[in-house]
Amino acid sequence: MQNNECIHICDQFTDYQDNTLSSELRAVVDNHLSLCSACSDIFRELSHVLKNLHNLPPVKAKSDFTSTLMAKIDDINQESLWQKIYSSSYTRAAGYAIAAGLVVALGLNMWIDPIMPISPKGTQNYAIEQKAQIPGPESLAEGVDSTLRFEEDSLRGQDQTISADNQPLQLVNGTK
Amino acid sequence: MNERIEKTDEELIAEFQAGDDNGFVELVDRYKDRLVNFVYRFLHDMTDAEDLVQETFLKVYKNKHAYREIAKFSTWIYTIAGNLARSELRKRKRRKTYTMSELSFEDNEFTPVDPDKNTEAIVFNTYAGEEIHKAINNLGEPFKTIIILRDIQELSYEEISTILDIPMGTVKSRVNRARLKLQETLSYLKE
Repeated sequence: MQNNECIHICDQFTDYQDNTLSSELRAVVDNHLSLCSACSDIFRELSHVLKNLHNLPPVKAKSDFTSTLMAKIDDINQESLWQKIYSSSYTRAAGYAIAAGLVVALGLNMWIDPIMPISPKGTQNYAIEQKAQIPGPESLAEGVDSTLRFEEDSLRGQDQTISADNQPLQLVNGTK
Repeated sequence: MNERIEKTDEELIAEFQAGDDNGFVELVDRYKDRLVNFVYRFLHDMTDAEDLVQETFLKVYKNKHAYREIAKFSTWIYTIAGNLARSELRKRKRRKTYTMSELSFEDNEFTPVDPDKNTEAIVFNTYAGEEIHKAINNLGEPFKTIIILRDIQELSYEEISTILDIPMGTVKSRVNRARLKLQETLSYLKE
């Protein structure tokens, strides 16, 4: 660029190429280009650069671009759904209520119902209690004998079944 | 479907904002290639460009209500993509793993080959394309973004003015300066 006029002309190149210059200004540029070889060279090279820019091969998205994107969006929607569920005050309240109910039920179950003890100690007690309550075959036989003996004694007379201290007789292991 | 093609971008985003995802899908189909092409000129890496454009659309999806019909949809989405691209470039500069001029064109698997052109022309075009890429990357901001938007994406000065939030006169003068810089750099490229 040789002088201020050249600088001014070069400043007009974009509008000149876009055809947005006024006819008067366009004529000034045309006149200058016909006289100034330096500006004329610049303009020619500039046009060539622009042509190359416009001819750059376009790149395109891959064919699965949209499906990949929609899969990502599905993931986001799933996440946000769970977040909504977790963040809902009703859901949280319901969760707390269920948890509290479970704790209470478990506590009551341990406290009241001995059928389902959970501690090893409880299990042991339960087994002992059950063993004590359920009569074995020997006890059953003894029970039958003592009943027969009691009925026999009854036939002999009620006074014989009462001890000296007026206590009912106890039949333990078939003896008085 | 034909009815949808006739709809403007602004109508489609309005439908999407109202809960119709088909409007979004249509916008993706309209803009995916343009945006990949745009971002690719910044990053010069096809995979990164696609990832970034996906991120752009995800932002649109998540923030659909952020769009207001005071600007064109194209302006809005180009602004998002441009911001993400510049942010990615800044990250790359910090990482300093490589420079833009060292990037290769090997990943450009989408370059169409015109069967009518002879081999010499193809080689020249490939070489010219590479040189143009380097020259654009060496322009530096803001000229780089301006030249991509104007001469590659062929957006109007008005759109560029809105995207970059600068007066239209500034856009024009920067386009002019950027072209002259490219001309200085690429004057040896003569077919």
